[in-house]
Amino acid sequence: MRRPALIRMIIVYVVYTLLICCFQVSFSQVMTFKGQVADLMLIYTVVVSYFYGFLDGAIVGISVGLLRDFFAAPAVTITGGKIVPSVGIGILVMFLASAIASSFFTKRMRRNSLFSLVAVAVVTLLYKVSGHIIIGIWTRAVMHKGYNLTLAQIIFESILPQILLNIVCAIPVILLLRYLGPYRKGINPRFNSESELENNLWLKI
Amino acid sequence: MRKLLTSKWFIVVMAVLLILTAIILGMLPGSPLGKVLKPVGAIASPVQKSIKNIGNNVADFWAAINDGVAIREENAQLREEIAQLEYELTQNEEASIRYEELQDAFHIRDTFSNYEIYGASVLSREADEWFSSIRIGLGNVDGIYLASGDSYAVVDVRMNLIGRVIDINEADSEILPLLHEGFVVSAKVNAVNGAGMIVRGDASLKLEGLCLVTDIDENTVLVPGTEIVTSGDGGLFPQGIPIGVIESVDDSNPLIITATLRPYADVAGLNDVFVMVPFSVIEEQQANIDAGLPPVATSSSDEEEE
Repeated sequence: MRRPALIRMIIVYVVYTLLICCFQVSFSQVMTFKGQVADLMLIYTVVVSYFYGFLDGAIVGISVGLLRDFFAAPAVTITGGKIVPSVGIGILVMFLASAIASSFFTKRMRRNSLFSLVAVAVVTLLYKVSGHIIIGIWTRAVMHKGYNLTLAQIIFESILPQILLNIVCAIPVILLLRYLGPYRKGINPRFNSESELENNLWLKI
Repeated sequence: MRKLLTSKWFIVVMAVLLILTAIILGMLPGSPLGKVLKPVGAIASPVQKSIKNIGNNVADFWAAINDGVAIREENAQLREEIAQLEYELTQNEEASIRYEELQDAFHIRDTFSNYEIYGASVLSREADEWFSSIRIGLGNVDGIYLASGDSYAVVDVRMNLIGRVIDINEADSEILPLLHEGFVVSAKVNAVNGAGMIVRGDASLKLEGLCLVTDIDENTVLVPGTEIVTSGDGGLFPQGIPIGVIESVDDSNPLIITATLRPYADVAGLNDVFVMVPFSVIEEQQANIDAGLPPVATSSSDEEEE
């Protein structure tokens, strides 16, 4: 990659990462639906990974995770009932989201823009399901309390509203990254050498 | 072997193991890993403050355009209200003097007279239902410190309970909100010798913005609308901070009566909060500073003492 393109890429990623993370934790109340908050950080990480691959996604994911841990660290109950703000859970979540999204039918679907909405929905679903399972186990094992959310509550009051909200909020993020993103023409030049460009051209939007 | 080392999923597994180790180490008392976020804050905090200010200014400007007529009507109403309040103020001044005289005579203490109140603005809110701590702009630089295992009550402008401080950094603090499933506070009915109970966050009720009330005595009469305040038991929270009102009572099992509580505080609309620190704690910390010691005992020194 040429130097100006590299500088542009870094600047765009830094600006978008800071903007999106800061916006979410400052104005989360304007993006709520049924008690859930649109997860712009997750959406951004997934879309970057889906469009621009694992390397970009992992770096963005770790950066977003760091900011997530700094701005809104999850409070974790540890042994003895003590509650501590944890460091690293955000990094782990965002890194895993980037790893999954960067392999989410990217070759078969040619990093199709519309299909990135499916990637956002699937990663959100995985995040919410695994989150409920882990917190359920943790609540029983460490806090010695029952996790009293019913399956219906988990599905209809947590997972579905979050997926819907994330899909809606993903649209501007997708447009931003595709048309005002870190790469000219919205394509990572590293992919030019990949053979995937040869096939399935009909899928490109 | 080289193929394995450069495999994407191998890198992912190794990175996940590394991050998991860091998370576990970070939870240990006195872990330096907690300071990893300090340089992040140096960059992110000013940016976030600027974005928040820009957003607020845009919202204010938009509101100023939209609410012009409404503001004029409200202004007229407020003028009438001011006239009424000025009259009441003159009446109350005399009552206040008498109350102070009685306070001295009967040694009555104001509910919060033993607490220093620190004001702070909300810097950032929850990112989702699990990344839910709130960050406020009050830290060590403001002369406030937190000892391991200690906590301070956080209230809104109307003195309603918001949550409690769980961590204090150099320039900011983290708050555990009232609705969080790890939050527990000893409470009572807002009456003289009101019945005691426990108010706690609950995973299920959090989705509806409610708290769970447990440990209710079977002889306690709780009805929807009953006001609940902190009881002061346990020493973490002062007595008498309004928490909320009872929304519903489940007495189907007389041995385990539970209720739901709707908190007064609206966390989503919060802009400013107040942290209540006992004067005794401030004096103790100041004495430590004067003696050349750290203001609060560090975790490692705690362990040594144990």
